[in-house]
Amino acid sequence: MSSVLGPALTIAAKDISIELRTRTAFLSALVFAILVLAILFFARDPTAVSANDVAPGALWVTFTFAAMIGLNRAFLLEKENAAIDALILTGVPKTAIFIGKALGNLAFVFMVELVSLPLFVLFYNLDILAQLPSLILVIVMATVAFVSVGTLLSSMVVRTRFAELMLPLLLLPFLVPPIVSAVQATSRILAGRPLSEVSGWLNLLGGFDIAFVTLSILLFEATLAE
Amino acid sequence: MNHSRHHNASAKIGDKLLSVTDVVRTIAYHKILRGVSFDLMRGDALAVVGPNGAGKTTLLRVLTGLSRPTRGTVESLGSQGFVGHASMLYDALSARENLTFFARLQGVATNGAVDRVLEMVGLADRQNDRVGTFSRGMIQRISIARSLLGEPDVLFLDEPLSGLDDRSCRSVLDILKSLRDRGHAILFVTHNFSAVAALATRVAYLVGGKMVLIEDVAGRSAELVSERYREVVEHV
Repeated sequence: MSSVLGPALTIAAKDISIELRTRTAFLSALVFAILVLAILFFARDPTAVSANDVAPGALWVTFTFAAMIGLNRAFLLEKENAAIDALILTGVPKTAIFIGKALGNLAFVFMVELVSLPLFVLFYNLDILAQLPSLILVIVMATVAFVSVGTLLSSMVVRTRFAELMLPLLLLPFLVPPIVSAVQATSRILAGRPLSEVSGWLNLLGGFDIAFVTLSILLFEATLAE
Repeated sequence: MNHSRHHNASAKIGDKLLSVTDVVRTIAYHKILRGVSFDLMRGDALAVVGPNGAGKTTLLRVLTGLSRPTRGTVESLGSQGFVGHASMLYDALSARENLTFFARLQGVATNGAVDRVLEMVGLADRQNDRVGTFSRGMIQRISIARSLLGEPDVLFLDEPLSGLDDRSCRSVLDILKSLRDRGHAILFVTHNFSAVAALATRVAYLVGGKMVLIEDVAGRSAELVSERYREVVEHV
């Protein structure tokens, strides 16, 4: 296991270090998140639609599209200067490369979510302190699902000519099931319903996590083959 | 198809380090390599020359294991390093950070190995500068340093002097000659006949995916190498 986890952490640390240094994807994703939150906020008529009705959708639209900016960049970094070849030639298991890239992406998306969430609370004037643990659980579970499949697809499309256009096209159909579950769970949590009432959606998200992570690990090696 | 690797730490000068037998590589129904066979011994410096599209880069990718042969065997009896046409480095990281990253993944003693290869390529004084700020010559030297981290028996290089000025060419050639003289085997793809004359002990002519001739080249001038290349390639 350490033959996979050690290299995976090294790869993830490298990706995080490069992102912290360049901050290109993070700043783009953050600006994008703020714009989406602002547009959706001002598009709502507060006298006709309550914040609780719109907020879950706004939150997940923001998270999903902001995350795509980071996912797009994940393998472009390896394609530049053909660094992926050097990674493969080190002899580390392909699974370690996938887990490392996925962990790096997770860290990136969590950073974007960490900054966007307070802005979301501010925009929609929500009191979520009591619901915060449940909300964080939903965010983590949904993020793991779409980052795992996003990392796999990012490695698939990076060799195509229009990688940045291809990724959303391929990824969105896979995102629908976990994002729908996340929106449903979030709306109930924000309405102050007990966690037991969203357990069905959480179980579904857990199922997506297991399925997406397992399939992504199994299929990743094929995306590296010539 | 077979691509086996047996690392033999006790290999001596003259020992066989690589055996390639009847390798065929087909991409999209197009045969890029057509039954390539040769051996590489310790201390060998084999230059692979041939016109564009002859299959030289594909051959390198098959030899390094980045690409699988459709048919035939590549038997590697020593550890390998590869310097590609691209740097295979991260521009945003410093030279030292790049080398430390790859050393960790290769499981070699990080600091000792990094210091050793930085000294070897003469870039210890620039180790903390970002690779993105380096000249093409310095990038090539760091790429060679990366490939040497695991102390490979065999070093593969794809056009190692491409885009380098005279001074950088000499610097890279000096590094490669010292590796050859220390018993490493080198296989390099090139269009540069001066490099063949300066470094190679043998030259292999790859034309249309076939290795039409392998011959000794040690002691030949660049002009003679160039003349011989035209003779061989034009008669295929």
